[in-house]
Order: sequence, then C-alpha cells, then structure tokens
Amino acid sequence: MNFAPLTLELLLAGLILIVFVVDLVSKNPKVLAGITFVGLTILFFLNLLHPWYGTTFQGTFVSNSFTGFLKGVFLLAGILVSLGSLSTAEEQYRGRVGEYYILLLFSLLGMLFVVSARDLVLFFVAFELMSIPLYILAAYQKDSEASIEAGLKLFIFGTFSSAILVMGLALLYGTTGSTRFDVLAQTLTEGEALSVLGFLLFLTGIGFKVAMVPFHMWVPDTYAGAPAPFVAFLSVAPKAAGFAILFIFFLQVFANLALPWKLVIAFLSGITMILGNLLAIPQTHLKRLLGYSGIAHIGYMLLGVAAGTDLAIAMVLFYFVAYVLANIGAFLFAETAIQNEGTDQLSALHGYAQRNPLLGLYMLIFLLSLGGIPFVVGFWAKLYVFLAALKAGYGLLVFLAAVLTVVALYYYLNVARQIYIEKPASNDPVRVPASIHFVLLISTLGTVLLGLYPKLIVGPALEIARAFVAGL
Amino acid sequence: MKGILLMTLFAPLAGAILNGFLGTWFRKKAHFPAIVAVGLSFLGSLVLFQWSLQHPLGQEWILYTWVPVADLRVPFGLLFDRLAAIMLLVVTTVSFLVHIYSIGYMADDPGYRRYFAYLNLFVFSMLLLVLANNFLLLFVGWEAVGLCSYLLIGFWYEKKTASDAGKKAFIVNRIGDAGFLLGIFTLFATFGTLEYTRIFEIVQSNPGYFSGVLAAATLFLFMGAVGKSAQFPLYVWLPDAMEGPTPVSALIHAATMVTAGVYMVARSHPLFQEVPQIGTLVASIGAFTAIFAASIALVTDDIKRVLAYSTISQLGYMFVAVGLGAYTAGIFHLFTHAFFKGLLFLAAGSVMHATGGELNMHKMGGLWKKMPHTGWTFVIGALALSGIPPLAGFFSKDEILASAFRTGHTLIWGVAWATAFLTALYMFRLIFKVFFGNPRDPALYEHAHESPPVMTVPMWILAVLSVTVGWLGLGEESSLFHRFLAPTLGHLEIVPPMVEKEAGLGLILLSVAAGLAGIWLAYQMFLKGSPNPTALAQRAGFFYRLLKGKYYVDELYQTVIVTPIRGLAVLTFRLVDRILIDGTVNLTGKSLAATGNVIRKGSSARTRTYLFWVLLGAHVLLWFLLKGR
Repeated sequence: MNFAPLTLELLLAGLILIVFVVDLVSKNPKVLAGITFVGLTILFFLNLLHPWYGTTFQGTFVSNSFTGFLKGVFLLAGILVSLGSLSTAEEQYRGRVGEYYILLLFSLLGMLFVVSARDLVLFFVAFELMSIPLYILAAYQKDSEASIEAGLKLFIFGTFSSAILVMGLALLYGTTGSTRFDVLAQTLTEGEALSVLGFLLFLTGIGFKVAMVPFHMWVPDTYAGAPAPFVAFLSVAPKAAGFAILFIFFLQVFANLALPWKLVIAFLSGITMILGNLLAIPQTHLKRLLGYSGIAHIGYMLLGVAAGTDLAIAMVLFYFVAYVLANIGAFLFAETAIQNEGTDQLSALHGYAQRNPLLGLYMLIFLLSLGGIPFVVGFWAKLYVFLAALKAGYGLLVFLAAVLTVVALYYYLNVARQIYIEKPASNDPVRVPASIHFVLLISTLGTVLLGLYPKLIVGPALEIARAFVAGL
Repeated sequence: MKGILLMTLFAPLAGAILNGFLGTWFRKKAHFPAIVAVGLSFLGSLVLFQWSLQHPLGQEWILYTWVPVADLRVPFGLLFDRLAAIMLLVVTTVSFLVHIYSIGYMADDPGYRRYFAYLNLFVFSMLLLVLANNFLLLFVGWEAVGLCSYLLIGFWYEKKTASDAGKKAFIVNRIGDAGFLLGIFTLFATFGTLEYTRIFEIVQSNPGYFSGVLAAATLFLFMGAVGKSAQFPLYVWLPDAMEGPTPVSALIHAATMVTAGVYMVARSHPLFQEVPQIGTLVASIGAFTAIFAASIALVTDDIKRVLAYSTISQLGYMFVAVGLGAYTAGIFHLFTHAFFKGLLFLAAGSVMHATGGELNMHKMGGLWKKMPHTGWTFVIGALALSGIPPLAGFFSKDEILASAFRTGHTLIWGVAWATAFLTALYMFRLIFKVFFGNPRDPALYEHAHESPPVMTVPMWILAVLSVTVGWLGLGEESSLFHRFLAPTLGHLEIVPPMVEKEAGLGLILLSVAAGLAGIWLAYQMFLKGSPNPTALAQRAGFFYRLLKGKYYVDELYQTVIVTPIRGLAVLTFRLVDRILIDGTVNLTGKSLAATGNVIRKGSSARTRTYLFWVLLGAHVLLWFLLKGR
C-alpha cells in the first residue's frame, strides 16, 4: 500500500490529535488557536512547496495538481478562520474551544478527502465528514437562540440533502454495478431513466451544499444566525469543495452521459444570479446581505461550470481564491461590528470609517472586490470567468451576469455608503481584536496584490486546469 | 539599479499613502514622512544620474505585463535613459526644496497633511510619467499629475474662485487629453504596440513610410501637450491655477507638470522627426504663445499671474525648440527654467507670506529693505529669466533663438527675440514696483517681514542653481548638456552659439541687448516715471484695453463654447435625464425592489416551505431532463 499521496491528510489527522491532547492539558483559547493556526500554515506551505502527488487505494484516491490547488484553498480558509475565530472563542466558547477547533479541522479533513475521492463510497463518507461538523459549529453559540436555529436549519437541510445525494449515488451504483468513477464514466453512456434520476438527485444534493437556486434557502437564515467567523468558513470552503465535486462529476463521471447537463447548469446559473442579486437589495443586515450576495457569486461561478472548458475551470479556481479572501474578510468585519455594536444591522455601521479608518478601508476593499471593481482581485475573477463563458458560447448569460454585476454594485456600495458617508451616532473608536485585525490585513493585502498581479494565480490555475482536463 | 529606480519611483507613493490614510498619526508632523519620501527619491535620482554617466544608452525594466487583453499587451515597464535622468533630477530637486519650503508656508493650515499627501502623490505621478516605457503608462502619469493639479489648485476649496479654477484646469486639460488619447489609439492601431522603443524601431527602419499616419498621430499627441503645457489656445487654465498654494504653483505650474508636454514631444522625437511640417506648426504655436502671453504679462497687476503668463511664454520657447528639432535645446530650457521659475514663485510666495496674502503689486513698494533675502533671490531669478549672462536663462534661451535663426525660421526668431525684450520688461516692472520705490500702502509695509529660514534657504539653493546650471551649456565643439543627452536625443541639432565662437557672437549680442533694453526701459518707466506708464496707457487706448482684458479670450470662450454647451446641457437634463432616463431608472429600481420584496415574502422562514420549493425545483429539472425522450 502506498501511503505517500495521503501524507497531507495524515498530517492533518495528526494535527487533530495534537489539538485534542493539548485541549486536555490547557484550555487556553490562545494556545489552541495558535496550534491550529501554525499547524494549518505549515500544512499550507507543505502542500504548496512539496505536494504529494500520486494514486493509491487501487486508484480510488487521487492526489494531483488540481486537488492540490483546492486543498490549498481549503487550508487558506482554515488558516484565516482559525485565527479569525479566536476573539469569539475567547468570549463565548469558554471551556469548549478545543472542540471548536477539532470540529473545524475535521471538516477540513473531510474536504481534503472529498476532492481526492474517486469512488462513490469514499466520496460519500468524506462528504459527510465535511458536513457533519458544520452542523455542530453553526449551533456553537449555545445561549443564542438564533445560533441554535441556524444550526438546526443547517442540520435539517444538510441531512435532507445528504439523503438525496446518497440516494442518487445508490441509483448510479444500481445502473452500473460499480462504485469506481472510471468504471462509472465508461458505463454511464445512455440517459436511461434510472441514471437520469441518479444524476438529478446528485445535482440536488450538491446544489444544497453550494447553495444554488432553488436549493439555497437555508443560506440566509443560517448565515444570519450562526456566529460570523464560522459563517466566513461555511460560506467559502464547503462551496469550493462543492464546485470541485461538480467539476469532477460532470467532466469525469457524467462525461459520456447523453444529457443536456450544460444547459441545466446554465439555466440554474441564470436564476441563481438573478435571485441572489435581487434578494440582496432589500436586506438590512450585513450577514444576510452577504449571504444573498454569496448566492449571486455561486451563480457567476456556475457559469464557469456550464462552460466546462479548461479555461473556465482555471478561472473558477481563480475566482475561489478571490472569493475566499474578500468573503472571509467581509464576514470578519461583520463579526467586529457585532462585537462592538451588538448587531450587524447596516444602520449600526454609520460612520465606521471615521471611527476606525483602517477598518473602513479594509471593508471598502472587500466590497470593491466582491463588486468586481478594477483593480482589486474580484474584478479579474469576474472578468475571466465571464470571458471563459463567452468563449464557450454563453453570450446571453454573460450579458445577464454583467448587468447583474451592476445591480450588485448598488447593494455593495450601499454598505460602503453607510460606512463612509453617513454620520456616526457615537464617536467611540471601534475596537478590533488583534487576531481579527491580522486576518483582515492579510485578506486586504491579498486582495490588492492579486488585483495588481493576477497572473500569480491565473498562470498556475491555467496549467492545473489543462492538466486536469488532459488527465481525465 | 532596479531597486534604486523602484525606490525613487515608489517612495513618494508610500509617503502619500502614509499621509493619506494614516495621517492622523502624524498630525502636525505630516511633513516628516513626506519629506523623507521625497528625500529618498532625490537621493535615488542622484545615484541614478551617476549611473547614467557610465551607461549612455540607459536600460529598460519590464516589471510585469500590466494589461494583457487580446492584442493589447502593455507592460508596466520603466525606461531609464539620459533624458529620464535629467527629468528625474529636475523633478526631485525642485520637489524636495518645495516640500521643505512648504513647512514654513503651510504651517498653520488646517489641511496640512492633506497638502503633503497630495504633494507626494504628485511627485509619484510625475516620476511615473517620466519613467514610463510606453505611451499608456505615460498617459496614466499624465492623468495622475492632472488630478493632483486639480486637487491642489482647489486645495482651499471653501473659496469659490479656487474650486472654480480647479475645475477649469481639469476641464480644459480634458480637451487636450482627448486628443492625446486619439494619438495613442492611432499609434496602437498602426504599430500594434505602445512601447516607445518598439514603435521608434519600426518608424526608424522605414523612413518616410509612415509619414501620413504619423502626421495625424503627432498632431493628436501635440494636442495633449497644448493642454498640459498651457499653449494657445488652451492656456486659459494656468493663470487661474494661481489660486492654489504658491509652493504648488512653483512645483506643478512652473517647474514640472506643465513641462510634461515638452518632455513628451522630446521623448517621441523619432515620430516628430518624420513629419517636419507638424514640427513647424508646433514651433509656430510656441512662438505665438510666447509673445502673446508675454504681452498680457506686461499689464497684469497680480504678481503670481505675471509669473503664470511668463511660464506660458517660456513654455512657448520650449515648443519652438522641440518643434524645430532642437530637442536638446528645448530640454535645456526646461531644465534651467525649472530652477529659476520655481525660485521666482517661491520668492513671490515669500512676498505673499510677508504681506498677508497680498498679490497686487500696486500696493507694494520698497519691500527690499524689509526682506533682503527675498529681494535678492527674486532679482537673481528675474535676471536668469531675462537672459542676462552668465545666469542660466541666458544659455538656454540663446540656444533656442540660435536654432530658430540657423534653421531659417527668421520670423519665429524675430518673435522669440521680441519676446525676450518683453520678458525683461515685465519682470523688472514687477521688481521695481514690489521691491523698490516708496511704499504705497504704509500698513502693508509696516506689517511686512522676512520669511523664516525654512523658506529662504530653499530659495537661496534655487538661486545658486539658477546662476550655475546654465554653465552646462558651455564646452568645446558641443556643450556638456548636448553631449550628455546625445545618446538619447541624437546629434541632429544645431550647434549652440556658445560653442560656435565668432559666428555666434552677433546673435548673442543681439539677445543680450534685448534683455538689457527691457530692463532699462522698465527702470525708466516704473522707477523714474518717464516715459510715464499711465500716460502711455492712455495714449495706447484700445491696445491697452485689449491687453488689460487679456485679449478677451476667456470672454470669447464663455460666449462661444461655455454658454451654448451649458444651455444644451440644461435642456438635455430637463428633457432626457429627468423624464426619460430618471423615469426608466426609477421604474427599474422600484420594480426590482418590489420583485425582491415579493420573493422575500415567498421565502418566509419556514422549513416546510423551503423543502416544498426544493422538491418543486427538482421536479422542474427532472421534467427538463426527460422531456427530450
């Protein structure tokens, strides 16, 4: 048995054990967060500098540059959130901080496995390993009714979607008699009713996870209720995993299936963009607004999936880096507002730029990136995904997306208006915990730097996508 | 070298960011990061200059591909050659001195840190303009200096005249910039690239082949220069720009930004060389502007505006030179002018500082006794400007006059020569009125005092430079300055009269005589009172009123351009914007919000409803997938 391709996963499992043991000795949140942060950072750089590529478990576990890139994105999200959660953990999770980080790491471990799995059983187990800790984490603020509700909602929808997904996988197995992706790809050729249903159930299950319309409804409630640092994680990492799964399944498993899946995805992309953007407009709370805007972003990225070319894959990968930085930053800004004002209402943000200019600037850059203004990274991400979709022949949809981008500017800049133009109600300075400040700084620098030099990610992403498509 | 070049370029940007975003940390110490930043740039450009002595051809650095869109690939590239070295020296030296001077001048201004942030940003933009290796990046710097100019002219934006002047500068420049952009488009459409070296290579390897399209391109580019460098007919913004703080006038509106047009023409000389007709046009506009502005300066009473018209006039000289192909002479005049005109503005600022912001020369007089440092440095600057040997202006102006004469453009030479006379006349009119004679306003005279050393020391440094930098125009066979720039600007030019010994002597004597005659006439009229200027003005009648009214160009623009456009705008606003567009937009917005609200009601927070939607969605998809069979 060749364990080398599993090294990263094994190291992460080791990190979980370390946190577990340390938690028995010390309950100090700073220590636990520090270990998680440092451990994940080391893993991130190991993955970057010394990736362990290869295949093991009779070809059902694959580690290559494509999975390596995604794992980098997951780890980056983990790094930022582990530090960004510290102040919340110190104040509200006293005595339970160890479990918090262990759950976060377990979910990460599930993500690492899920993008490498090339077998239905391994895939589903990894998928659940990723999802279940999230339910608990959403309800982690035990004394907050909203948090409990968010957790419960996420749990109900999550298990519901998992049930649908596993039913779909079972049908796929039923039609082909195999759980291996490569065998599935060869056998799933004609669109007989059973495999079509299997496909549909799979799409519905994943649709939940990535929050595409009409499977998106858990998003706003969960985002609004759950603790913000966790939402920062929830809104990016599982989504990235979901998209990776979509790519792997559509381009590998369903590659020969005679189904108009590209049209389906294009259609879903369109309504996801429209609904996400429209519903974001009337929102009065920042987290809920970011939730809907997140749905809109999912719509843009689905455009890339619908295109399905190597260029589109590369650009979706790039989009994720942009999205991770700006979205985590924006949610941590929301967390700062909640810690200071007790609410994330937009009207509570009045004059934040006066009360703390640096914080205002950070958020402005995140908003610009989410809105897609040159020359922050979000601009290039949108531009490139749109270009890729245009080349694949989705002119009308790209036009719609471009129009909706303008609509999106309205609500993003509305937030900026509250922060910059409205007069503040009080002049107390806004306190930003050092840990959150650090994460905000990193995200801002990343957003600006990649905005000035997008090639840093675009170049490798293109190579990876080409290799991925070639290796199918 | 790359590191030093980057530091030179980006240090002021860092300073601007520090002061702009974190300025509250510095408060009254805002000058500190700004001066450190510009000081670093200054040191950097000294090192770079040293380097360029050993590397005559300079070097290009491509940092990264800035715009990769289809065929358009524009690098963020820097070109450092000897022309850039000269520009760098001018920009950083004057900036550095102006920054120091500003500590005193702006001391109690509430916008202290905003001021230094803008000033730093300006220096960065100007350096970017100078160091760019392609037209697009040049244009970025070009627009950025324009923006800084706008911000600094309207620095005291509570004052209506100041904010109006800022807007005027911005809008008038926009006209020129539209032409400039067209020029860039033409170049890109023809050559498929915007990098200097590549375009020049193509042009130089096919002499005469591109002259048609280059005539259009250079004409468009020159339009940009006309706006930025305040030439006729777009010069109108520069006199009004004097509403800004005086150190800003010294730096931006005398020494650096306004010379960007001259620099641009010199930089693209391989293009202009291909089309001599356009060059003649450039020179003619320059010559006309020179005498036109000088004649207005004769009757202007506002000391800063006299200097502004003088700047316009001197920029005209520079365009005469670059238009006639004497690029080095043009850059040489740019170089010397930066120092003595910067000095004159700083000295004028010192006078304003002493007199509580008074600008009218008729209220002054006898200030020499009160402020000897300002007086001395002002006279040095004025002598340099009037072309009196051995001060700097003499050398550079003489080269321009000689190149006009030698290339057979006698009319242009005559106009430029007459302008030299007018220059001396209006400068010494100002000096005699301000510094000599009897005090005309006793209260003002009593109040006047010399400025602090933080202001006078930079003035003296500039005064020393104004005396000495001209000596670079000396040398055997070819002047030092020529030899230095030859690798970049070529040898195609006229030998300067200084070097030419006997043959040039006549020309030299003529131009010196013009300057001395101007000074002598000013002395007779404004100090001795005979011939009496008032009587002369009355006798001149119509002509005097024409000059006093600045040829009524502003009024002409107001009637012919501004009023009709404004009328059209109001009409469009009422009809198209209010009714048609606002109506549509409001309708769209309202319907979007209404839709949003309706859907929101549809998504009430009930789990059962959610799951219903999910199933409905899944069924729609299923129907879609199966409908084909």
